[in-house]
Amino acid sequence: MNEGRLAVPGDAAQLPVLAHFLQQFWSTAGLPAAALNSFELALEEIFINVVMHAAHAAHAAHSVHATHAVHGGSVPRVEVALALTADGVTMALEDDGPAFDPLSLPAPDVAASLDERPVGGLGVFLVRQLMDSVSYTRVGARNRLSLTKRIGTRAAGE
Amino acid sequence: MKLNIETHGGTTLAIAEGRLDFGAANGFQKQLEQELAGAGSSAGGARAPVAALILDCGGVDYVSSAGLRVFLVVARAAKRDGVAFSICALQPAVREVFDLSGFSRIITVHADRASALAQAGHSSA
Repeated sequence: MNEGRLAVPGDAAQLPVLAHFLQQFWSTAGLPAAALNSFELALEEIFINVVMHAAHAAHAAHSVHATHAVHGGSVPRVEVALALTADGVTMALEDDGPAFDPLSLPAPDVAASLDERPVGGLGVFLVRQLMDSVSYTRVGARNRLSLTKRIGTRAAGE
Repeated sequence: MKLNIETHGGTTLAIAEGRLDFGAANGFQKQLEQELAGAGSSAGGARAPVAALILDCGGVDYVSSAGLRVFLVVARAAKRDGVAFSICALQPAVREVFDLSGFSRIITVHADRASALAQAGHSSA
């Protein structure tokens, strides 16, 4: 299996389903276990970002509690596509939620002290650090985030 | 996430096991805060006041930013309560995100449980 695709509702409760899908793809493709963590983390961070952003947008639009608004038909559909490349793996997340480029978020100050450190903002930063390339495009009414990372497999020469 | 608690003199050793992802983070934070609350108040219980809280992550194979957030919140609460907080036995993949986030500079990390306990001033005997 060189490609895999799964679509789920943009609900945080779907996270284990996505993680399982990624793990299955990984073992079927015979990829090294040590390289899985970066993709698990990227998948979680980007997916949760989509979920939270959609909830906030719904909250702003309906001015009711976000948790209620999100059940009012504004849950985006999120599709994850995985593919083997010549020397690694590409993962793409597409959703039909409100336009949102997570790469536009400011980087956290990772040198800040314990007391000064803000509690959020690390997710996208970590994804950028762990992946070789991350890009965002708005395709029609969909957000598309594409991530790639080279993986040293026994087949790949380098 | 599973959390087993051991007491070594004035040190509480919290042994965590599982996947610290978005779904597990809130519950895990509450568990740790409970330990910290027990640590902070010596109010009349049989339990001695706790001077240190060690979080053993040897059984934690995954931590996302939601999990890192818990470490940060607990480290801050511990500092406020005057409890020495440290983490030990990070698996390589977890250590990587810990280092990338700059957490190694703001939270004490020990290679293994023995050195964490030794640092806290107690033997595990």
